[in-house]
Amino acid sequence: MSLLKPFSKLPDLNTANILLVENEEQFQQNLADTLVEETAVTVNVRLAKSLPLPMENDESRPRIDLVVFIINLTSDKSFESAKASLKYLDPGYFLGKVCFVATNARHASVRTGCLDALRQLAALLHCPLLFAEDQSPEGATSSARRLLTILKVASGLVPNTTALYLSSLTRCTMPPDIDQPSFD
Amino acid sequence: MDNSAKHLLQRLVRRIPASMLKSTLDKWERLTAEKRKSLDFTQSKWIITQELVALCEKSELTVKHITELEMIYITENPNQGMWHTFQLVEPEDDAHSVELMQFKEQFKSHLRELQRNVSVKIKKHTDQAVWIRVAWGDGLSSPNHLKATYVVLYLQTPYVFVNALSSKHKPLLLQALTLSTRHQQIKAANLSGQKLTALRDLLMRQYQQVFPTKYPSPLAESDQSISKLRVEKVQAEASANRHRMAGETFGDGMLPALQSAVFKLETKFKDPTNEAMTQRDEPFICSVKFSSSNLLESLRHCASSGIASTPVTPMLSSIPLKGRNYFVITDNVLTA
Amino acid sequence: PHSGVVKRRSKSQSYRRSIRTCFGVASGLGLTPALTARRMNTSRKAPRSQNITEKVKPEHLELLVKTEWQLSYVTPLYQFRHTQLKSYSRQLSAFIAAEKQEGLAVEVGGLQNTFKVSFSVLQGLAETSDDPETVLIQVQSKPMFARQEDPPKTVWCGWLSCINGNPEYLQSLPKDFTCLPLFCSKGAEDLSSLVKSWLQRTFDCCFGPLDINQTTLQWLAALWTNCHMETNIQNLKMIWTLPVLPPLQVTYTVDSDDVLDLWRSTRESSAEKSREAEDEVCIDFSEVTRFMQGLMSHFYRHFRVDLSAGELNQVSSALGSAKVNGKIKISSSRYLISIFSLLTECALLKMPI
Repeated sequence: MSLLKPFSKLPDLNTANILLVENEEQFQQNLADTLVEETAVTVNVRLAKSLPLPMENDESRPRIDLVVFIINLTSDKSFESAKASLKYLDPGYFLGKVCFVATNARHASVRTGCLDALRQLAALLHCPLLFAEDQSPEGATSSARRLLTILKVASGLVPNTTALYLSSLTRCTMPPDIDQPSFD
Repeated sequence: MDNSAKHLLQRLVRRIPASMLKSTLDKWERLTAEKRKSLDFTQSKWIITQELVALCEKSELTVKHITELEMIYITENPNQGMWHTFQLVEPEDDAHSVELMQFKEQFKSHLRELQRNVSVKIKKHTDQAVWIRVAWGDGLSSPNHLKATYVVLYLQTPYVFVNALSSKHKPLLLQALTLSTRHQQIKAANLSGQKLTALRDLLMRQYQQVFPTKYPSPLAESDQSISKLRVEKVQAEASANRHRMAGETFGDGMLPALQSAVFKLETKFKDPTNEAMTQRDEPFICSVKFSSSNLLESLRHCASSGIASTPVTPMLSSIPLKGRNYFVITDNVLTA
Repeated sequence: PHSGVVKRRSKSQSYRRSIRTCFGVASGLGLTPALTARRMNTSRKAPRSQNITEKVKPEHLELLVKTEWQLSYVTPLYQFRHTQLKSYSRQLSAFIAAEKQEGLAVEVGGLQNTFKVSFSVLQGLAETSDDPETVLIQVQSKPMFARQEDPPKTVWCGWLSCINGNPEYLQSLPKDFTCLPLFCSKGAEDLSSLVKSWLQRTFDCCFGPLDINQTTLQWLAALWTNCHMETNIQNLKMIWTLPVLPPLQVTYTVDSDDVLDLWRSTRESSAEKSREAEDEVCIDFSEVTRFMQGLMSHFYRHFRVDLSAGELNQVSSALGSAKVNGKIKISSSRYLISIFSLLTECALLKMPI
């Protein structure tokens, strides 16, 4: 089992590398196209369906500064695949270098409790959870903007702040009522 | 023109969409150009029908002529109703030399021997297809033209497509077909659907197929735009593999628009986490129907996107390979 | 690698508690507390065959079963009185007539007779003393070219109900509110919206579409399967849609005896629980999940296609059918109450606190 490690490689000058993991491979391409339009820093995007990443291109792969899991809440498989992928990340990533993006959160067929489960997961792993709209270009733009903010910090390009510091402010907290007994 | 002819014409005009009515009548050639010109196609269907009936009456057309019109319409628009496929097997020595005239004669005489009062019309379509229209009469009653059976076959190929055939007439038709094409047997091919063209293309393999090769596919030309330079699919190889395997199983490009496939499963329930069910002796009976506007394209996408694991199971790959869309699955046996 | 995550978890509990006091701020980063404190029941009673013909009039039952209803949820009605139904009937008739003749030069009074509305109490559906009685609304009309002696036809029908509503919620409502959260309708769309807009104006309430999400559909699949112990359900049919191009629909139909065996086998593993409460058979959602997983794994074994990548859209059996877009049909009155209790719960989950 190969772990993805946050500090095993040297960073490049003024460059940030982001890995988008999405089982369905639907939203990641749009998001990637928007992310690379950033001009202040060089953004490299790597796309994956799930982790672990193949060993073959490990050498040529740059240091990944931020790992983003895109989860479509209408699909059980999407969530399960993201959960399974988490195992292949070095614990060091959870110090502010992992982020969850949920899509379709308001869709009619979303299972009850699916969103709760995702919040719980994000809270346990001290990661921020973003909600995205994946059908329109505007949705991709606004998600990309938010991810860039986190990415710049995570890749050390913002002076006087660190990924760990940012994540302590932005990470998902457990809703206070999540463990309450159900309706009756 | 008698009442039954009038009724047939009325029913037929009701089936033909208004936009197609003019072109269909033009091809029919039973009404003079002048008469056709006198029809006003902007009017309501009901009024057109009235005028058409009057015109046909004037021209002294009979049921026979009306059935010609019907045949023109059906041949031009074959993707209606349910088409079932049959396969001719065990050809006689002279099966390959059967030509149209001989077949026509033979088929008509064989069918008339089996059943009195049948009305048969045979026509060759432009794409080599032989179209047969059979109106069945029972015993003493005259043929019922309202419920005609259509048969499409290509001489020298084993497949026959049949539309609107009642179980009562099925043995008669099949026997006549077997004898007149010089074969010994005919059997159901377990392929049916609304789109005749799709069934034909699937069986005659008239779509772009991919054959497995050991050589890697030529690389897509490299696009030097910024998004291509900086965005990289880490698992591109795995994804390319899935695409290749999906293409090898289901074909490439546009695929025949088959709309559904049905599997009847009578297999044992096996699940390591469920002991009680695994130990059960009886099979778990269920049926699964896959449907889509183009089933093969959907399945190909399933395989290339990873929703279906690759390599594709023989269950799904048998649809294009065997040209079937109805399967009964019991443990260890794949039977009809 | 696993251990890193696990260690984190144990630590996080206390850390989280202390930090929450400092950062009680809500933001767009998933920090906001859940919008509602209420969650779907994770356990419910197994439906038992009920002979409700003793409680509900047969003509009412005939109306309820075997038709497909479009579901909506309604917020509590302000100053609704079960005693004033006659007056509501008159008001709604007049409202529909007024809306229909808007912009038309029609003789006053002439059109008023074309739509006749009747409000009535559909007695017997309420289960607990907290449940308000169900209200039935029917709109009758004479077809345009009908003869004088022809009876008027029902062109629209709808009902507001609350079956086994959460007593805590119902009791917490202020005195002037009546909670009938489930609205079922059938008939012309324009009449539905007219009736809704009249109810909205008159009782200061809100309507919204009530979708039947995947959890509820799974519940229905399990509950209907459980019914096969008493009543033949013939088979259980589920329809999934897989997100491919063009969309692929998978219809999975299982023989009722076999699906019941599977259901029993998933129940057996949690048999201790049912022994605790012998008279009341309770079903836990974990059992429903296991049951669905069993069905999906049998499917996967044959086709290597992962159904969990798609959406469950429809569940049906001889007892009824339910679709994700909020359409439901009940074919047997015997399990009417338990199915509508589940739907009432779904509707109540949409209520503001």
